[in-house]
Amino acid sequence: MDRRNFIKTTAAAGASATLAGCGNPETQLIRFIPEEPLFPGIATWKPSICPLCSAGCGLHVRVMDGEAEVVRNGEKGLLKMGLAKKLEGNPQHPISHGKLCARGQAGIQLTYHPDRIRQPLRRTGPRGSGPFQEISWDDAMADVLLRLNAIAAADQQKTLGFLTRRLRGQRNVLISTFLKEFGAPPATLFEVFSDDVLREANRQSFGFEQLPTFDLARSRYVLSFGADFLGTWNSPVAHSVAYGEMRQGRPGVRAKFVQVEPRMSQTGANADEWVPVKPGTEGILALGIAHVIFKANLRTPSAAGRAGDRIDGWNTGLQAYTPEAVEKRTGVATARIERLAREFADNSPAVAIIGGAPLAHTNGIFQALAVNALNALVGSVGEEGGLSFTPHPDTGTAQAGRRGLRELAAEILSSSSSPVQVLFLNDANPVFGTPPAWRVAEALAKVPYIVSFGSFLDETSLIADLILPDHSFLESWVDDVPESGTALSVASVAAPVMRPLHQTRSMPDVVLDIGRQLQRPVVLPWNNYEDMLKAAFAALADKSSNWDKILENGGWWSTASTGPSVNPARVTPAAATLQADPQFDGRAEDYPFHFLPYASQAFLDGSLAHLPWLQELPDVISTAMWSNWVEINPVTARDLGIAQGDAVEVRSVHGTIQAPALISPGIAPDVVAMPVGQGHATYTRYASGRGSNPVSILADLTEPVTGALAWAATRVGIRKLDNAAPTTPLIVFAGALREHEERHR
Amino acid sequence: MPHRWGMAVDLDRCTGCEACVVACHAENNIPTVGADEAARGRAKHWIRVERYWEGEFPDVRLKFRPVLCQQCDNAPCEPVCPTYASSHTSEGLNAQVYNRCIGTRYCANACSYDVRFFNFFNPVWEKPLHLQLNPDVSVREQGVMEKCTFCVQRINAGKIAAKAEGHEVRDGDISPACVQSCTANALVFGDLNDPDSAVSRLSRSPRGSKLLEDLGTEPKVTYLERDAWHDAGDPRRG
Amino acid sequence: MLKVRVGRHKWKLGVLVASALLAGVWSLKGQATRPDTNAIFSPAHGSISEAISHFFGYRPEPVQPIAFPHNVHVQDVELACMDCHISAARGPQASIPDIRTCWNCHATTATDRAEIQKMKGYFDKGQDIPWQRVWGWVEESHVRFNHAPHILAKVDCATCHGDVAQMTVATREIQHTMEFCVTCHKEKGASNDCVTCHY
Repeated sequence: MDRRNFIKTTAAAGASATLAGCGNPETQLIRFIPEEPLFPGIATWKPSICPLCSAGCGLHVRVMDGEAEVVRNGEKGLLKMGLAKKLEGNPQHPISHGKLCARGQAGIQLTYHPDRIRQPLRRTGPRGSGPFQEISWDDAMADVLLRLNAIAAADQQKTLGFLTRRLRGQRNVLISTFLKEFGAPPATLFEVFSDDVLREANRQSFGFEQLPTFDLARSRYVLSFGADFLGTWNSPVAHSVAYGEMRQGRPGVRAKFVQVEPRMSQTGANADEWVPVKPGTEGILALGIAHVIFKANLRTPSAAGRAGDRIDGWNTGLQAYTPEAVEKRTGVATARIERLAREFADNSPAVAIIGGAPLAHTNGIFQALAVNALNALVGSVGEEGGLSFTPHPDTGTAQAGRRGLRELAAEILSSSSSPVQVLFLNDANPVFGTPPAWRVAEALAKVPYIVSFGSFLDETSLIADLILPDHSFLESWVDDVPESGTALSVASVAAPVMRPLHQTRSMPDVVLDIGRQLQRPVVLPWNNYEDMLKAAFAALADKSSNWDKILENGGWWSTASTGPSVNPARVTPAAATLQADPQFDGRAEDYPFHFLPYASQAFLDGSLAHLPWLQELPDVISTAMWSNWVEINPVTARDLGIAQGDAVEVRSVHGTIQAPALISPGIAPDVVAMPVGQGHATYTRYASGRGSNPVSILADLTEPVTGALAWAATRVGIRKLDNAAPTTPLIVFAGALREHEERHR
Repeated sequence: MPHRWGMAVDLDRCTGCEACVVACHAENNIPTVGADEAARGRAKHWIRVERYWEGEFPDVRLKFRPVLCQQCDNAPCEPVCPTYASSHTSEGLNAQVYNRCIGTRYCANACSYDVRFFNFFNPVWEKPLHLQLNPDVSVREQGVMEKCTFCVQRINAGKIAAKAEGHEVRDGDISPACVQSCTANALVFGDLNDPDSAVSRLSRSPRGSKLLEDLGTEPKVTYLERDAWHDAGDPRRG
Repeated sequence: MLKVRVGRHKWKLGVLVASALLAGVWSLKGQATRPDTNAIFSPAHGSISEAISHFFGYRPEPVQPIAFPHNVHVQDVELACMDCHISAARGPQASIPDIRTCWNCHATTATDRAEIQKMKGYFDKGQDIPWQRVWGWVEESHVRFNHAPHILAKVDCATCHGDVAQMTVATREIQHTMEFCVTCHKEKGASNDCVTCHY
């Protein structure tokens, strides 16, 4: 439905609920007896956990009574219940420190979204066409059991697939255990902006297959290669809290922060020095810096230990990486490389960070290993002001033998009968988030039966046969083991903060139910997810904290850092020679620009584009709302005759999209960039048909060691579309007083 | 002594994350207006993060500046209001009294900071999004001007709580939603009449200045400029 | 009081009176349908008659579903106000108890009375009693009233609510005009800044 029509109709049909109750009960909805104790008008704060990104921030949720329209026994009425009113950070939580980012705070709209799926849906029309029928949970469970019993009866248990966003904590344990007990292969993980390259590099360099934690608050020099660590990457809230301290938290010391990237990110905007570099050459610059440090005898190569052993030529002084040679390859001037090297070595503790686009090249592992070695060289690993790895409480084991989505899709497409007969889909939208060459939609179409736990109809849920809508996180038992962001060992857990608004069920409980009801039951040792959490935390916590205390705090965490910084036992032998130079898709003559899609400040990978607060949040660089855009350097734009807001066609070997131009001085002339997140064909009334999806023109290049998508390795051409307005215009809030145009305000 | 509420914004800490913007939406029942109305300049953000480009590629810098109502002591919005809807409180707030407002929009014209927002139409929450509304804050209707209140509902609640607990309001007891949410602790709120409060100390910083100070509006928000690299503690750097 | 309001809102009044005349008498009947099933929530008026009522601050006398006798509960049963209105000392709302509170006693007490049987009817259907608010203000007056500080300041409930102990269903014996509030605030030395109540 169109928002504008809503606004037009309000004058006549506005539901003035403000004084509901003043007058005559005969003209009002019936009211049901409340189902919980309530103190009207009094706010209570309950802990929860933000599930929107991988950081795992602890929440404090403000809960107050309110009247929700609900259906009970087929009758519509009002129910007074405790409702989440506002999300803030949990002040005691080691990741969030009482703070919460813009996205996390908007997460409350997931629960109250008008287009949430309210009860199980069964597909009635052709796949992908849309029509679904609301059915009861009994019917829905019967449907899914029929399918699972059929594959079990045919001894085809291995044809059950589970496609999900990366799971952590007990959800991960539950799904892994269920799949194993059923006889199915491990779940396939999918994320658009996966960090697998960095995990693998950290495993090789330090023995930890996880994201690093940075002690920014005590750092004196921060050198970041493309990592949007204050915006969208790793643990942004934890980083921001520490960043504030790094800047103004220490008398007499204010650290220097240098950002290396070809397109200025929100994080880059905060840097004291911004160093544009040719895309994919960040690792070469890192080695150039190392070269200067050796040459000036500030450190010896052996100081880097085994992190240095990963790099060809490291132990012989990186002869190929003289500043002059590095200048040619990276575009960073010799004198600047020398100065940065001296600053980095002289101001310890110093830390180098790499994340995001530099790892999304074909040479991603090389780039990560180079920066890891640089950290090891200056002794920042495991040290105050440097980087470390969050120690993890033991919450179950990872599984081997996972298939990536790309391989899975290829396997399905190449077989006559799909190797996946029943597919469960949880919190992943690969139809939106994969390049066309992966042919994911085509592969999924060959899967006979798809069950989604989705709360919204997105591009992937739309092709499901059955939807078993999950509770929102505020309605569920939740838990998490943050991968990074703190030196403490953390396991968060929280009870539901409110009763479910709709006829939904929590995914873990549905999985447990399915297991019990199968003809050959998969009986796991827990009655429900709450029991499972209770058991897990009983095993975890020390004697001083009991379950009630843990729930009150929102989790369990160690009081002091316990983890070792480097795990020598798990380091593998030296890797083969790594390609230092990135490969790109598309000939430079035909496709003159590097194409840089990036996680948008509001929507990350697009999974949050359905939240109206985030649609109307002015992007901090462009000030744009309800839009997406292509960022072009002013000189490039002038040469091509492109002005701000013009419709621009972006063309790669694999497809063409259009978007309005944003002329930005913060981008290299041979690079164009687009935020990922818009361009949903189907994703609720707020996001459907808005803007274009940069992932849809990406090449199928991968980083060869991990198989991760090299999403920054596509080249494109751009041109102004004459006589055409952009399909979704650039709507700016006006970023600064001086550029404000007085219009209707 | 009565309170005199003010804010300090340390631009050296601010990362432009916009947590404050959404915190304000959640706290103050600020509606979304949709793409069409946003394109007509009618989006409402009581606090916004302005950004200023300096220089040209490759020597380019970008600076962020969160801008909200500056709660001026000599506020241009107040004398122009024919109904005293825009008026000064005893604690120095620029109050916007919705029930007095008749929608002349004179105040928005007079404001130097572009922080006042007019309700050109009745706001709409598509159900059940309305269940999130904060019952401690009015939902403003068509024809009414609105703006940042320094979260006066939180100030009032903080004062009531202090009184109930039998003590004075302490520094840090009261935070507007934006300050509470500020991830880098760039925003600091408190009583300017208390010389020892965090906000008073920051407001005296040599990095401090007021926005469009020369207009004589006497804002109560102090901006602390971005700092430079210094490292007095490191002997290697003299 | 009325005169002041009319003066301030002269243009609004003109438009409204004209609209009301044009709209005819039917609009003055108010909301006709039972369920409030709008897909949207908005501060817009539901009807022209509602707009006019709100403009003059007029709120209809509530029709209570059950003839609740405050006097019996206070005088005979010796309940204190806050035994049922549990939130009054702690927060903004005094709160109207839901049917579970009533049921605590009336599952077994006075079950033969007609009004109690009415209540049982609601209870058996899983419904709460649709009590109608007696006090309050129209939304356009943007009043945020908080009970707790008034009770902390030892303002007697009867100061604002009248002698409810003598009433059956509560009625508005005292008019909550702004003058009423401001006078008391002045006497007690409480703040009369606009934003003490209007925000």
